[in-house]
Amino acid sequence: MTIVQPSAGGGGGGSSSGLADVIDTILDKGLVIDAFVRVSLVGIELLTIDVRVVVASVDTYLRFAEAANRLDLAQTGGKGLPEVVQDMTQGVGKAKTKGIAQGALDAAGDKLHDFLGDEEPEEEPRRRRRREG
Amino acid sequence: MSRSTVQESASYVYGIMPGDVEVDPEATGVGDPPAKIRLVRHGDIAALTSEIALDRPLGRPEDLFAHQRLLDEAAAEVPVLPLRFGAVVTDDEAVVEELLAPNHDAFRDALDDLEGRTEYIVKGRYVESVVIGEVLAENPEAARLRDDIRGKPEEATWDARIRLGELLGEGVAARRDADTEEIVGALAPLSAAVAVREPTHEQDAVHAAFLIETDRLEEFERAVEEFGERWAERVTVRLLGPLAPYDFVTTPYPEEG
Repeated sequence: MTIVQPSAGGGGGGSSSGLADVIDTILDKGLVIDAFVRVSLVGIELLTIDVRVVVASVDTYLRFAEAANRLDLAQTGGKGLPEVVQDMTQGVGKAKTKGIAQGALDAAGDKLHDFLGDEEPEEEPRRRRRREG
Repeated sequence: MSRSTVQESASYVYGIMPGDVEVDPEATGVGDPPAKIRLVRHGDIAALTSEIALDRPLGRPEDLFAHQRLLDEAAAEVPVLPLRFGAVVTDDEAVVEELLAPNHDAFRDALDDLEGRTEYIVKGRYVESVVIGEVLAENPEAARLRDDIRGKPEEATWDARIRLGELLGEGVAARRDADTEEIVGALAPLSAAVAVREPTHEQDAVHAAFLIETDRLEEFERAVEEFGERWAERVTVRLLGPLAPYDFVTTPYPEEG
């Protein structure tokens, strides 16, 4: 588990997870100035990158499906699904950190590319993220 | 000062705090270069502001970080009422006349209520392979669809992928509801207030804000850590804080005068 001190986000600059944490917190939480100030309110153009995901969307469905596809291809031998799940669980348990778990997924992605042979590697599913509506 | 002429700069407002504080002369906020922070006092309360140029849009990552960093650092020391990002008023006089003076007592009371309390956020993210394996193992339709798309290109399996993704999304959402209920149920008794947030990522397991009394912080941190260890194989748990109480300030709707 990680305890994130607030100053770590600013000092280190814009790591993507830090930015996501800030966006989750300051764009739609806190007191709204419009509720108090009427006459002297100044409208300023806000250009913020919103990295938040619409959780039930075509994009997230496609990412889930691709993740299931990768999960299957990471399977070795003719194991049944429960054994695969158990293996994955143990693997991640040993890794203990998200970074290493992510590495395992990336490795599975490499296998997918090998499997597809000379086809263009698919766009990394995470890159497809965008906000709709 | 005439407010009808075109202004080049105005006052950006970060938040409201007790008036008996000092601001670090080195403190800076939003803008490029980052503007010097000012403390605008009125009675028992004060607002943190800085000058902002009006000829360019606001919202670079640096600006977002600066806004939150300033408020969180202040909140670690004194009660703070944070404003939502992007609050701009013509000048510091208007901050006093329209923000601080008319709401002085309400703000002071809200600050008194926040004495000794800060916000912490608990974010849990599922380990993708594990949570998807869990859903596939219990949902035969999803498992069949997964077999259908196996190794096939996205274009040829679009409909099956959408349906599979929908089923997986529902399965993950059901787990999110159950896991959120479990951890919030365990942490709520240690908290002065709880606000469950909407998920902002499809693999979110929990996303909730807690208002914590300083003297119960250690107990709270220990409880979060226990979840982090117990869930280590399937959820990555992070604890963010101390933060200004973004999730626990409510905007009143003043009666129309």
